[in-house]
Amino acid sequence: MGRELTFIEAVREGFRQAMRRDERVIILGEDVKVSIFGTTKFLWDEFGDKRIIDTPICESAFVGAAVGAAMVGMRPVVEIMFSEYLYLAMDQIATQAASWNYITGGQVKVPLVVEVLYGTRGSGAYSHSQSLEASFLNPPGLKIVCPSTPYDAKGLLKSAIEDDNPVLFFEHRKILAMKGEVPEEEYSIPIGEAKIWREGKDVTILATSWTTHQSMKAAQMLEKEGIEAEVIDLRTLKPFDKKTIFSSIKKTSRLVIVEEGRRSGGYGAEIAATVAEECIEYLDSPIRRVAAIDTPVPFSPPLEGRYLPNESKIVEAVKSIL
Amino acid sequence: MKIPLEKILDLYRIMILTRAAEEKHEALFHQKRLPVYTHLSLGQEAAGVGVSGLLRKDDYLFGTHRGMPEYLGKGMKLKNIFAEYGGRKTSLTQGKGGLHLCDAKNGILGLVGSLGSDFSHAVGIGLAIRTKGTDQVVVNYFGEGTAEQADFHPCMNMMSLWKLPVIFACANNRFTEYHPYRDTTATEHIAPRAEGYGAPWKIVDDGNDLTAVCEAMAEAIERARTGGGPTLIEFMTYRIAPHHTGDPCVYRKKEEVEIWKQKDPIQRCKALLIKSGILTEEMDQKIYKEAESEIEEAIHFMEESLFPDPEEALKGVYA
Repeated sequence: MGRELTFIEAVREGFRQAMRRDERVIILGEDVKVSIFGTTKFLWDEFGDKRIIDTPICESAFVGAAVGAAMVGMRPVVEIMFSEYLYLAMDQIATQAASWNYITGGQVKVPLVVEVLYGTRGSGAYSHSQSLEASFLNPPGLKIVCPSTPYDAKGLLKSAIEDDNPVLFFEHRKILAMKGEVPEEEYSIPIGEAKIWREGKDVTILATSWTTHQSMKAAQMLEKEGIEAEVIDLRTLKPFDKKTIFSSIKKTSRLVIVEEGRRSGGYGAEIAATVAEECIEYLDSPIRRVAAIDTPVPFSPPLEGRYLPNESKIVEAVKSIL
Repeated sequence: MKIPLEKILDLYRIMILTRAAEEKHEALFHQKRLPVYTHLSLGQEAAGVGVSGLLRKDDYLFGTHRGMPEYLGKGMKLKNIFAEYGGRKTSLTQGKGGLHLCDAKNGILGLVGSLGSDFSHAVGIGLAIRTKGTDQVVVNYFGEGTAEQADFHPCMNMMSLWKLPVIFACANNRFTEYHPYRDTTATEHIAPRAEGYGAPWKIVDDGNDLTAVCEAMAEAIERARTGGGPTLIEFMTYRIAPHHTGDPCVYRKKEEVEIWKQKDPIQRCKALLIKSGILTEEMDQKIYKEAESEIEEAIHFMEESLFPDPEEALKGVYA
């Protein structure tokens, strides 16, 4: 058994190695010095004020500052504590960062990483719980990655930092403490590649991050009833891995997409439309989306439970199309 | 800080080129020879040229939509501006930017679409300069209306907190889009807001005096280059032009415009240069002729250039 790190430790190691390798990498965000969530803890001790920068509480302005630094050749990482706060910086991410390489004819690139802690942690209520990755599918020029394991986190982080485009890097709260094998050396996982976690012939289940773990539990439950699910961790939402998805659908003829974000305009919608356009002849039944309900995130545990996807809902969705 | 007369003469040439080029842009638009209408800088040329004219090539500038004075002042070539406005494939953005021109080699990173979104870009560039340890500066040149936009305040805070080499240069041309600025601005001036953030500030009462503009900028640039941090400068001027082509200006009196035409920055600069002996009437006429010829060449370049192939629209999303 190799060395094990938690998801957070893997991210931190990724940051440290990137910052040692490339002096252009800087990290900005609220309390990145003390790092209550641990993503950047102890980095200030090594890299100091010039590269680990505590910002005032103003997401639109400090994300904009990260965009500006990227425009002139730095490789900034900007940390966002809850995905809701991305909306405060919507112009900077969706209009500015997303557009500059294109509208300047390639003169100005934005090699920015927006590192986001997201997802429900249990009774976080409406403004500290959401999964808003799908909101960023529409703007061109962005990339979106959602690692599910410590190993994937470190590898995708390196790719994100080295990518010349703005990349949103989503870290789900429920897997921050999860442990997994992580090599000590640097390694990259390519952006745009999904990973098959479990092969099966009866249904394709697409998921990301925490919902990948939920989908694996659902697959175990289905196995007891003789149903073999193929579970695919998308890892990258934009651009998503059509090749792996289509090849799986050709095998199983059934598709269920799981996300912790809400149904309307979720990534399930985008993937389902794409599959319907380009792969429909391989489907034997309608596509199912397992997603949060279209409401704000309620506070009380039973309400939050109704709001969220879970293994049973995934199992139900699969059975409804068999 | 004293500005050499030779420099004032250089900038005077740019003011003349700006005015003539903008007149031509307006004419071309009416003749449907280019797609984008004008936001003329008429009457404000001294502010724009003065704000950019003392910067180095490796300094950065964010300009405005009535931007010819500052883009020419920073070193962008007129033919590249016309190719840009003309949407030609020979433009520096290959026809993708338009009004949002970009000449990165000259430190002109672009005209942002939502005014005020670049306050934070300037702060970020200031951070990059600080991390790299160079003596470059970044100037964000904007209008008084934009000073009300969201990020003005957190950016003033950040640049003061971190003592960044950022200059916020505000042209108060007394109009915010289609109304006098006092209709939507609570205070007479923008610059004193810097007091709230502990940053130096200055009001240049006569923003049509090129020398006064340059002196204020020179002081701020020196401060920024030597680790002294940011400055907020406000240049009082007047927008002789309408907000854009076709704006009937129902919100002001023609008499007021006539009064301000008497304070024309170009005429006043000419008077100063003639009085000091560095400019003669003959030289002046030569300057106008050279401007005309440069404009003709620029328009020729634009009109001889092809439009981009439609399929180019699909390219360049990702770096």
